[in-house]
Amino acid sequence: MSAARVSLLRALLVLAALLPLPWRQAIAAQVDEIVLWHAYQGREEAGLEAAARTWTEQSGVRVKLVAIPFGAFASKVETAIPRGNGPDLFIAAHDSIGKWSAMGVVEPTPQLSADGLRPELMEAVRWGDQRWGLPLAYKSLVLLYDPTVIQTPPTTTDALIAEAHKYTGGGRYGLAYQASETYYHAPWAHAFGATPFDAEGRLVPLDSDAHVKAYAFTARIARDEGIVPQQPTYESVQRLYNEGNAVFVIAGPWFVSDVDRPIAAAPLPWVSDAGAPARPFLTVDVAYVAGQAQHPDEASAFTTWLAGPEGARIRQEQGGQAVSSALVPTDDPLLKTLEVQSKTALLMPMNPGLQGLWESEAKALRRVMRGAATPSQAAHEAALYWEVVSRPSPPAVSPWPYVVVMVAVLLGALGWLLAPLRDPDFRAKLRRHAWDYVWIGPATVAMVLLVLTPFVVGAGVAFFAHDQGEFTFIGLRHFTDILFARDWPLSSPLSFFYTLGVTLLWTVTNLIVHVGLGIALALILREPWIRMRAGWRAALILPWAVPNYITALIWRSMFHVQDGAINALITLVSGAKDPVQIDWFGSFVTSFGANLITNGWLGFPFMMVVTLGALQSIPRDLEEAAEVDGASWAFRFRHVVWPLLKPALLPAVILGSVWTFNAFNIIYLVSAGEPDGTTEILISEAYRWAFTRGNRYGYAAAYALIIFGVLLAYSRAANRLVGRKVL
Amino acid sequence: MATVRFQNLRKSYGDTHVLTGIDLVMEEGEYVVLVGPSGCGKSTMLRCIAGLEDISSGDLFIGDRRVNDVAPKDRNVAMVFQSYALYPHMTVRENMAFALKVAKRSAEEIRVAVDEAARMLDLGHLLDRRPSQLSGGQRQRVAMGRAIVRRPDVFLFDEPLSNLDASLRTHMRVELMTLHKQLGTTMVHVTHDQVEALTLADRLVVLNKGVIQQVGSPRELFDRPINTFVATFIGSPSMNLLPATGHGATSTVDGVEGTLDVPSDGAFTLGIRPTDFTVGEGPLEADLIVVESLGSEAMLHMDLGEHRIVARVDEPQSFQSGDKVRLRPNKVHRFSAATGERLP
Amino acid sequence: MSREPSKVIVFGTHAFLTVFTAATIYPVLWVLKLALTPSRAFSMDPVPVPGLALRDGALHLAPVSLDNFRNVIFTYDAAGSWLFGWQLMNSVFVALATAALGLTLSATAAYAMSRWGFPGKERGMAAFLVTQMFPGVVMLIPLYLILDELHLLDSLMGLVLVYSTTSVPFSVWTLKGYFDTIPQALEEAAVLDGCSRLQTFWWVIFPLARPALAVTGLFSFMTAWNEFILAATLMGDPKSFTLPVVLQRYVTDYGTDWGSFAAGSVLVSLPVVALFFALQRHFVEGLTAGSVKG
Ligand SMILES: Nc1ncnc2c1ncn2[C@@H]1O[C@H](COP(=O)(O)OP(=O)(O)OP(=O)(O)O)[C@@H](O)[C@H]1O
Ligand SMILES: [Mg+2]
Repeated sequence: MSAARVSLLRALLVLAALLPLPWRQAIAAQVDEIVLWHAYQGREEAGLEAAARTWTEQSGVRVKLVAIPFGAFASKVETAIPRGNGPDLFIAAHDSIGKWSAMGVVEPTPQLSADGLRPELMEAVRWGDQRWGLPLAYKSLVLLYDPTVIQTPPTTTDALIAEAHKYTGGGRYGLAYQASETYYHAPWAHAFGATPFDAEGRLVPLDSDAHVKAYAFTARIARDEGIVPQQPTYESVQRLYNEGNAVFVIAGPWFVSDVDRPIAAAPLPWVSDAGAPARPFLTVDVAYVAGQAQHPDEASAFTTWLAGPEGARIRQEQGGQAVSSALVPTDDPLLKTLEVQSKTALLMPMNPGLQGLWESEAKALRRVMRGAATPSQAAHEAALYWEVVSRPSPPAVSPWPYVVVMVAVLLGALGWLLAPLRDPDFRAKLRRHAWDYVWIGPATVAMVLLVLTPFVVGAGVAFFAHDQGEFTFIGLRHFTDILFARDWPLSSPLSFFYTLGVTLLWTVTNLIVHVGLGIALALILREPWIRMRAGWRAALILPWAVPNYITALIWRSMFHVQDGAINALITLVSGAKDPVQIDWFGSFVTSFGANLITNGWLGFPFMMVVTLGALQSIPRDLEEAAEVDGASWAFRFRHVVWPLLKPALLPAVILGSVWTFNAFNIIYLVSAGEPDGTTEILISEAYRWAFTRGNRYGYAAAYALIIFGVLLAYSRAANRLVGRKVL
Repeated sequence: MATVRFQNLRKSYGDTHVLTGIDLVMEEGEYVVLVGPSGCGKSTMLRCIAGLEDISSGDLFIGDRRVNDVAPKDRNVAMVFQSYALYPHMTVRENMAFALKVAKRSAEEIRVAVDEAARMLDLGHLLDRRPSQLSGGQRQRVAMGRAIVRRPDVFLFDEPLSNLDASLRTHMRVELMTLHKQLGTTMVHVTHDQVEALTLADRLVVLNKGVIQQVGSPRELFDRPINTFVATFIGSPSMNLLPATGHGATSTVDGVEGTLDVPSDGAFTLGIRPTDFTVGEGPLEADLIVVESLGSEAMLHMDLGEHRIVARVDEPQSFQSGDKVRLRPNKVHRFSAATGERLP
Repeated sequence: MSREPSKVIVFGTHAFLTVFTAATIYPVLWVLKLALTPSRAFSMDPVPVPGLALRDGALHLAPVSLDNFRNVIFTYDAAGSWLFGWQLMNSVFVALATAALGLTLSATAAYAMSRWGFPGKERGMAAFLVTQMFPGVVMLIPLYLILDELHLLDSLMGLVLVYSTTSVPFSVWTLKGYFDTIPQALEEAAVLDGCSRLQTFWWVIFPLARPALAVTGLFSFMTAWNEFILAATLMGDPKSFTLPVVLQRYVTDYGTDWGSFAAGSVLVSLPVVALFFALQRHFVEGLTAGSVKG
């Protein structure tokens, strides 16, 4: 590959680096403390804390435990550690080793002793020809059951199904698990042979017979048999079990501490249709020595101890973990079951770039479960999808032509900006206004530094392809790929133009809702004969006051097919005998509608307030004159209020449309693009490319630049349409 | 107290020349009134004195100091705006005290100054109110008070009475005169109101299109307007201007019968104020169109040949529209037909 | 004053308002109910009233407890520091400082843009607003790098800088619109009264622009109070996290701890909602001038 590969990006980043300031605070080198990042909660966190305390007593080295929210963990280690801002060690699952080792997030640790650790678990830290950290504990799905009902758990799926039928009916389910998630589908799939890699380490095609059979099997057990509730979430499984309405549950060991009734565990059953045991994924918690750790030696020492028998015992007893050490036996039945299960379980692969694979399978599984595709259709689509997502980066091109063009453009822009300086009058004017610039100075500097520069740098990535921490200059290739819809037919939800269409529909419908509701309520609330006007107004701006990520999550759960309030309300109002079960996120129209309802709810108060203000500037007597003339209400609105309101509202409407266009939170949190990514808008699609489809930052940045271009064109057009500068 | 001196002062906004070559001296303690049609540059002139506008070229002196580049606050001038520009968030007292507070005067000094100004303007009982709680006249007085407390060298008034009703305006005119007498400070006053201009001014400055037309006492301007513009602008209703031709010792109005005893030669413009007619006899005959009654007196609007003229009479009862009325001008002004300049 | 319309219309309008408002506060009530229900998981019945549950067509009493709040408030780290207290303090500091700094940055800029004809003014204003169109996805990592270079990572000041800058465009837009409605004569009077630009701004403009300042200050405050993605990335220690980051802890890969999440949400929302109501009488005035004038 070309030498320009990394250097140009470096140059861009240096641009962002700007002035290194003198007051770099010296990081006090406290040899007596090491920092550990983890995302444990509850009992596991308590176990880790206990272990850390013991180690401090023994070694004198304090361990500072930093709990990072789970959702922020990966992005945090990936940004902080390569910049030298990370901890000394951190605990995370083993499956990112491929990616992290390439990025310098983790250090190779050939020196750490693996004595007493189960050898098959050591496989979880072997990548390339190196070892990276030590395994601490492992997790996998098992079969959980209600011991008050079941004495001997079934050992085959046929038996399980038969047993489950006995307890299904009247709001009760024989089996509850998150069937539509690939992680829960995996045990069956692997039994059929639909593993990610075959015995030789080659990828198994996603449309293999095994995959098709596996989809069919899940569809049968989790849907057709009627023994599993629809689209259960983790919480609903938990609730069903707590209420005694679920007899069998497939879940991980963490489930046990979240329920308040007796529960027992058994290995997953033999898959009768496949003639093979169910093979859930095995994930291993690894203690990694972080890249650029301040105290790698102390971190290594603690890692070895933590994985070793002493640390393992504390974590096992106080944290309830299934530990990797072979030297600490247990009689806890759950841990014993996990140990048995781990023998058949399949180690989660560590290869980087598999994100797209999981996404392909997840899409297929959801389609099958929804009945939107047959197993073989879905498998076929998944294979196609994976082919595109996993396509290797476009070839590198020479950056020099681009550099020349860019320099020319920059010089041209500079010349154009500086040209007026030749005019002495202009210079005099500048001098006269010198102080004015002091006033806008702070805001301008801040904006350039903290908004413009990040955007330019971030958008600059669009000219690079990203592959596991390496950037290759590829010129305009991403833009042409996107704009010429190279990868997908135009009508596919993954093509740019489809998403653009959805985004436009989204923006327009939202504006109609916002402006319509806003004006209607404002017109009502300004009538003097409305009682308690201030009270209504206060209640109606509530959606604006509550942080929107909270309400968006609440709305999502209100739309849940079984547990949601919306369906419950519809049932109540319609008086239906059976609960109404609209699968809101199962079709484009309802899913889009759910997004629209949520964002309409969030956005109308702003328009209402702006309209109330604009109405104040419209003299009431104009309307009264029209009323005296006998004009109807509609006529008055159309011919008196609206013409005066329109110019006042336009700026707010245009600004609002820009916000709506980029309303990432709502789409991401409510529909999450379902079904099949059809309700994704451009900005959320860009996010997916950057963070859930194999970190294709360049592709995402190109999306972002195009979004910006679209908005810029829109605002210019809007200005022209309105006839004045609004945005 | 100070003089204000303009030397060939020009002001333009880009290509719009608003003031073109103003030369004028306002004497110490003088009450100068600026009049002129809307948009002629009166406010601009005032704002140049205040320092709110930059001067494009020429010089401006206050006292002996050239103030072109002196900041407004260092010129020691006070201005009363047409809108009064009272600070809405401050009480009357705070409004009046503001300038002194900015100048960091002692609280005691401020109190004395404010109380004195309040006494002078009879504002004592209003000191704790906000501007929004005052009537128009009261606001005007507060604006005045705000100017007074600063003891400026020059007062600038930009149409200070135009927002008041007629009777209040009369009252405030008297107040302004009293104030001027008490303080003896140079005052520059912009107005549209003839009566205001004529009653207040020591000297009147007539401005048109950024050029000074005439400067002088109200009497001078009324009796000897220097050109047709001033002639029509000063006096209400304005002077009748008629095209006329001179025949040595006498002249005639073009297209009208009757000879006037006005010595002149060739074409010229004849000016007669409506008050300067004897009505009922004379060499001219006009058709009465409308009688505009003003109570004890009346304005007769008549057609003299092709020309519409106005004359004032004291007994309106004896006239009816449609009458033929005979007229004799008692006092006439002659202006060049070509340039509009006064003829000697 | 116009006449009161017929009884039917009055009644109908109030009925509509009642239904609409009920629908509007419905989701918010759910947050409350979840927070007060002593369970991580839930199934929604149609009645979002804490302590009531609709089962089999009849209303029943349901348990209510403050456990979730206790759970959220009394979190300690391994060293025994009261995390919630720290995080609350961080949030309060960051939000207040953001409001103050954001207002300073945007009010000065908006005032200059509203009043003085310096070269580049129009383009500057346009450039400020154009930043509203930047998609935020691509900016996170570069921002991290810049703050790292400036040694502002892991510092609340860094967060304050970023948040207040983010809030600048909308604030400038709103404030400029409002400043435009303040008569220029007031400033000229102040200038003649001896004020410098700064004094004019402070003594005359600032007090007069209070509604707009209140509104923009509140929005800057909310920007900082509600944000969690940047806060989680830029801060390295639970003791320096802000409250929304903590909420994120209850939403994990395995599932959501709805009880704690809702209780945390209530705690996070309360101050903003209170401020919202306290300042809402300024909204109509403060916000409209900006949007109406453009
Ligand atoms: N900022 C400006 N840019 C361009 N032209 C201006 C500006 N300010 C004033 N003018 C022009 O200067 C001329 C004089 O304005 P000025 O306000 O002095 O008139 P004025 O005599 O006070 O009128 P009025 O009696 O209506 O108050 C007007 O024609 C006006 O259009
Ligand atoms: Mg004027």
